[in-house]
Amino acid sequence: MTEAVIRKKAGMASVKDMPVLQDGPPPGGFAPVRFARRIPNKGPSAMAIFLATFGAFSWGMYQVGKGNKIRRALKEEKYAARRAILPMLQAEEDERIHKEWKKYLEEEARIMKDVPGWKVGENVYHSGRWMPPATGELRPDIW
Amino acid sequence: MTSTVDTAGEPVPTSSLLMAAAKHIGTKCRGENLAFLKCKKDDPNPEKCLDKGRQVTQCVLHLLRDLHQNCSKELDAYAGCMYYHTNEFELCRKEQKEFEKACTL
Repeated sequence: MTEAVIRKKAGMASVKDMPVLQDGPPPGGFAPVRFARRIPNKGPSAMAIFLATFGAFSWGMYQVGKGNKIRRALKEEKYAARRAILPMLQAEEDERIHKEWKKYLEEEARIMKDVPGWKVGENVYHSGRWMPPATGELRPDIW
Repeated sequence: MTSTVDTAGEPVPTSSLLMAAAKHIGTKCRGENLAFLKCKKDDPNPEKCLDKGRQVTQCVLHLLRDLHQNCSKELDAYAGCMYYHTNEFELCRKEQKEFEKACTL
């Protein structure tokens, strides 16, 4: 059935006279809708926010400083302990170097005994200072 | 490592034992340490500072022996804790307090 048959009105001459079928507002119109902005203007002011931020930052930096002091004290304790035992370790190492150096000098004398004018253990430098031996063989267990 | 002494009963100067006793060494052997360091500063040749080095070693070993005689249990506990935590002072505060209470500085 076409629309004209269903919705016909008495005395209709053509389809163009059909009553309009529309979706419209209820009688009296819709209720009013608020669309204006209503952002409340309460809460902390700019100065309050700034002071709170500044306060949190300074408290945090104060904690950082306190922690740094504690850490520095721990490091100082470790360094002081190392300073206290350093001479003992150096003395032990000196004894060991002395023994190895004597063995090395004997070895050098044995190797170079037929070379004329060779002074065993001669300092290869002329500055007069003592330089650590550079043979690379004084710790055969490592090498 | 459960004990700080070797078979003869002498304390072995391992790193953990030395670090545990470092405060005592720093105060009791201060003279020998400073003399040895001054000698080294003047001449780094090991042969020239052997006698002062021997004094340092003797002082430290005597001190370790005294500590071992006076408060061996606390010293063993502290050195063992140092050994376990590789010479980290902050992790051995309890043993350190016990040790310093037993053998005051």
